[in-house]
Amino acid sequence: MDDAAFTDEVIRLAGDEIRTCIQCGTCSSSCSTAHLMDNSIRRLIRLVLEGRRDEALSSDSIWLCTSCLLCTVRCPRGIRPKAVVSALRQIYEREGLRNRDEAFERIFMDQIRNKGRISEVLLSAAYALRNPDATVPIMEMGIELITKGKVSLDPGTVKGMDEVRRIFEGLEND
Amino acid sequence: MTEIAYYPGCVSRATGREYDISTRSVAKALGIELIELEDWSCCGATHVPSEALAVGLAARNLTQSTLPVMTTCSICYSNLRTAILRLEDNGMRARVNSVLERKYAGARVMHVVEMLSEALKGREIPIKLNGIKVSPYYGCLLTRPGSGIDSPEHPRILEDLVRGLGAEPVESPLKMLCCGGPIFMPREEAALESTYHIIKSAKRSGADAIMAVCPLCHLMLDAKQGAIEKRYGLDLRMPVLYVTQLVGIALGLGPEDLALEMNSVSPLPLLEKVYQSIAKE
Repeated sequence: MDDAAFTDEVIRLAGDEIRTCIQCGTCSSSCSTAHLMDNSIRRLIRLVLEGRRDEALSSDSIWLCTSCLLCTVRCPRGIRPKAVVSALRQIYEREGLRNRDEAFERIFMDQIRNKGRISEVLLSAAYALRNPDATVPIMEMGIELITKGKVSLDPGTVKGMDEVRRIFEGLEND
Repeated sequence: MTEIAYYPGCVSRATGREYDISTRSVAKALGIELIELEDWSCCGATHVPSEALAVGLAARNLTQSTLPVMTTCSICYSNLRTAILRLEDNGMRARVNSVLERKYAGARVMHVVEMLSEALKGREIPIKLNGIKVSPYYGCLLTRPGSGIDSPEHPRILEDLVRGLGAEPVESPLKMLCCGGPIFMPREEAALESTYHIIKSAKRSGADAIMAVCPLCHLMLDAKQGAIEKRYGLDLRMPVLYVTQLVGIALGLGPEDLALEMNSVSPLPLLEKVYQSIAKE
């Protein structure tokens, strides 16, 4: 995907309003993880509009977004910055780029695809297997939750798995 | 008896069990019949980057009942609401309907907070929570995107609810800061930092307890509190009760009905305070 096509693709996924961004920075100043980001959300949108594909896709900021939607509520242009982040995550995965955050999302989605529901134990286990340094905090958490009877391997069965699969096939790459 | 469709969400089976248990008990006490969606599936939480897919997953749940759909999870609630907003677009609706078993033709969702606020209106509270200071923690998605349960900038629905129970809502400046939960697995440090500040802020405002309305917020504030104390080397011991647990106490339900023993930070000191204040009267 070249740089112009990249801009168009983000806009197709996240909305035409992006073109109207006035770079006011309301999104960045509302962001709860802004202080940890390499590019502020405002700058990320600028990178998208200028077609700076590699800079945008390699930005750590797209993985630090907690999806809290405060930027989306406040944007004076009606842009949904969280949707821009999601579009970038989607393109990242589609292009075969990989990191731990993206791995977590993929495990999460595969569970829905295969079972229809999330089992937090299996999710944590699958993630820890791929990221051994996450094992200790996950185990600590697990012990706390087991003691409280809040760990269950079985989130219940979804009968309509054909429908779930159809939803994935029809809409995942939309 | 009022009938409401109930979408428990994935965490109701595991980390959010006490929320599910207390929700069912409180609904019963309030004369509400919860009818669990027959074949609900995950809403996608915050981990589905394709918007069309996220809308499709949410819509599948919305087509399973003609009743208003109630959920206790703010992430589920926000996702279902976002789906309804996106499905106003005819193109999106057609795409989603082309893969759904039952076609989407509009739906109504509510958060358990809405259900409780409505049901408690004008109702006698058997055990007034006098003398208790509660920090209502909105978190992010209860009010976002806007046009839902309350203003996304200056909400008061939780303060009103706390006041209705006889308790005093205290103002914490970080009551709407995201708990960091959605990124806690790959980004633990970043997430714990937010949670730490939220608990500290509630403590500074003089709260005896935090009231949570989302199972992920609760996990971060309660189950992770030990990890936060260890990391920052301090003693917080801040009980974090689900809104349904707090309402349940005020309705006179027992600890088992409310699964109070499942909370990580013991809510016992809070209960003692409630009973002491009753004894004084």
